[in-house]
Amino acid sequence: MGNMVNVKIDGRDVQVEEGLNLIEAAEKAGVHIPNLCYIKGMKGIGACRLCLVELEGGRAPIIACNTRVKEGMSVLTDTEKVKEVRKFVIDLILSMHPLDCMTCTKAGVCNLQRYAYDFELKESNFTRKKFGYPIDESNPFIKRDPDYCVLCGQCIRVCQAQDTNVLEFEGRGVGAKVVTAKDLPLQESGCTFCGSCVDACPVNALLEADRWRKGREWEYEKTSSVCLSCGSGCSITVSTKDGEVVKINAGAPEGAAERYICAIGRFGFDSLYGDTRLSSPMKREGGVLKETSWEDALGTVAEKLKSAGAGASFISTANILNEDALLLKKLAADVVKTKDYDSSATLYSDYDALTAGSADLENADLFILVGTSPNQWTRVLPALDAVIRKRMNNAGAKLIVINSGDPKIASKATAVLKGDEAKMLEELAQAMISKGVKAPKEMVEALASVDPSDEAMNAADVFKDADSPVILAAPSLYKAASNLSLIKAEAVSVPLEANAKGVVLMGLMTEGKKFREIISSSSKVFYAVGEVPVSKRPETDFLVVQASHMTDLAKEADIVLPSASPLESDGTVVDYLGRLKEVKRAAMPVGESRTNAEIFIALAKAMGETLKMPKETEIKKALKGKAKVSFSPFKKDKDLDVDVEKFTEDINASTINGSRLLWLKETEKGVAA
Amino acid sequence: MNEAEKKDETPKKDMKDVFAAVENLKCAIQRSQTFVEEFLSEPMCGKCHPCALGSYEALVRLKKIAAGVGSRADVDAIARIADQMLEGSRCKKGKDTAKFIIEALHTDTFSEHLEGRCRDRECPSYLIYRVIPDKCVMCGLCQEACRYNAILGEKKTSYRSGYRPFEIRQKRCVKCGECVAACPYGAIEIIDLKVRDEVKV
Repeated sequence: MGNMVNVKIDGRDVQVEEGLNLIEAAEKAGVHIPNLCYIKGMKGIGACRLCLVELEGGRAPIIACNTRVKEGMSVLTDTEKVKEVRKFVIDLILSMHPLDCMTCTKAGVCNLQRYAYDFELKESNFTRKKFGYPIDESNPFIKRDPDYCVLCGQCIRVCQAQDTNVLEFEGRGVGAKVVTAKDLPLQESGCTFCGSCVDACPVNALLEADRWRKGREWEYEKTSSVCLSCGSGCSITVSTKDGEVVKINAGAPEGAAERYICAIGRFGFDSLYGDTRLSSPMKREGGVLKETSWEDALGTVAEKLKSAGAGASFISTANILNEDALLLKKLAADVVKTKDYDSSATLYSDYDALTAGSADLENADLFILVGTSPNQWTRVLPALDAVIRKRMNNAGAKLIVINSGDPKIASKATAVLKGDEAKMLEELAQAMISKGVKAPKEMVEALASVDPSDEAMNAADVFKDADSPVILAAPSLYKAASNLSLIKAEAVSVPLEANAKGVVLMGLMTEGKKFREIISSSSKVFYAVGEVPVSKRPETDFLVVQASHMTDLAKEADIVLPSASPLESDGTVVDYLGRLKEVKRAAMPVGESRTNAEIFIALAKAMGETLKMPKETEIKKALKGKAKVSFSPFKKDKDLDVDVEKFTEDINASTINGSRLLWLKETEKGVAA
Repeated sequence: MNEAEKKDETPKKDMKDVFAAVENLKCAIQRSQTFVEEFLSEPMCGKCHPCALGSYEALVRLKKIAAGVGSRADVDAIARIADQMLEGSRCKKGKDTAKFIIEALHTDTFSEHLEGRCRDRECPSYLIYRVIPDKCVMCGLCQEACRYNAILGEKKTSYRSGYRPFEIRQKRCVKCGECVAACPYGAIEIIDLKVRDEVKV
């Protein structure tokens, strides 16, 4: 926390952090300064002029969004003078805004409505201006209705801050309009449909396309949870009405760089109610999967597992919850008594990479990406890509990319070290040492013969100047990359699944065969949990698939157990930055589906054993098994290379194919062709 | 930056040009209207709401007054716009425009227009062109000068009587002033619409 300064806001003495602007400072004092164009976490642009305030002893009013607090400042936020200007601006905007609050979807959360209420404006005192702009409804995600636009520019700036750069202003003043380049539809403008602009829009100009007559904000129940679609594990806010998910918004605090979710996280929820969703257990009878009861399904599986014993193998995705993972491990190891249980996390990571390190991106001033290629456009760790770009654009953070390929984000980098990552890391470390930075003895010795290139020397300058650098490494390179953290910086690995770290910390890591071996060898019972990246039936006598969708693998199963989706489950996960995050149930499981944890407990019971729902203390205890970083050779674990793009798509296949994201997939293919 | 963009940037109208555009105008309404029109046409950057939206609304109201259909409410609105633009605008350009309007509001011109009179005879809607029969020698020069065929009448030739006198058809007249310039005898006068109405009464 920074230094505190004493300021007076409307006569009230408050202590606030140095460097805050007046809007934020006033908020700490419980005073709201009206604004339309201010975006928390970004520099104020002073366009709407609603945030004008007066300083005691000052001459003219000043804009609060772009003025930082100073010791002894006395701010008056509510003088007649500034109230008149605010009312005037709202009055003008109202003259060009449809007055249909009674049917408007944004009623209740619309800032224009709020301020019109505050300033007692039933309608505009100025000449009514009608534009009749066409509505862009050509995609199933984002509806653009320029007639409602208040020209605050927030959508344009959030889009630019994350470098997607789709929206821009055309014209100025009354006739101005937010457009795409050449006024093309969004899908032809490089839009990723992340929907950040929808979150930013203070009115009804940008809206989720399917919101008409789906209720308004005050009818929704809000649940804070986590999206488990990829390794980013973004915070989300789920809105439900009558038990059904209506929309999902970014859930990180306002102003945080992490306040971002991608199209999969925002719009993938349709798949909850999609055609492939499983709603009751199924059993293969006469070659065909037929619906059956839980009792029958669990009884059958229990019997098979009992007789299989050590011959049973379990695999799971790494986007199940900590509680699920803990129970699954107990079920496999203690109840079924097999050693072969593993998660897909081991396809791309070893144990250490997932259990060491933690990092804070919000204050990072340098990112060092080692072998990982986040990309919003291909939706590989899109949130990480967006966070880095936002920190760079909004706060001047820097980026060093160490990669053997040409990741898109490299074009944004302050320094790029292209080549074998392990070698590049050696050079960077040696460059740091040669610049007089202290390093452990064994590292200095190991690098003695390394001669750093000019690029490495330049990168080292950037690294040396950084105050809070963060190293983000592909798990296969984590050991090598974390050596750098012995010199400086925090280092974390970035797995491809949301709870890879939690799953491993909970002990769901094989004592016998590893994931690849399990699927290539034969077993008596093969039990798959979640959307595992396996599409063909492995060699097994009996295949059990526990999933929320009819996956390709489920189609070949002998028993299918319908599981709840993460949006329908309660529990915790550990994200890539090492934080414990809470996943909360936003909707009840569809049909007869049950949460993973419930299924494991019921299955143990059917086998005559008792498994209990893990308590918070048990989870926290498991989290303490974190590894410490120590010097290890600069080497890449080549066994852990996977096609990240394909992997990400595979683990989300049901979500994508069962929702409007399928339209996007097809359209993107079409545009690319 | 490519060539086209460069070209776009160079010949820009600035506030000097806006002031120059109103230099020869006298009527405060005409001056304000032209000023705001010129301001909106280019120097207005659109970066802040009070100025971008306010000056547009001011123009709407000024046009109403210039057209003779304004009311006290329009003048009040213009005054409010100018005051708030002065207070709230981001830069000098907006504030200058506000100041210009405020200055204009200080004259009696706005009130006079509401009463139906443009003292400086620059607001066409307030004026009427009329042939003074006593001065007209029926030379027909005005008719030749009029591009809008707004002047009726028969040119005088020797040894004829029963001429149709010269008169101006108000429906066609655009009040361009060409006829006044063409008449060597000063036989065309410009009078206030209001005065004529009073005469009629």
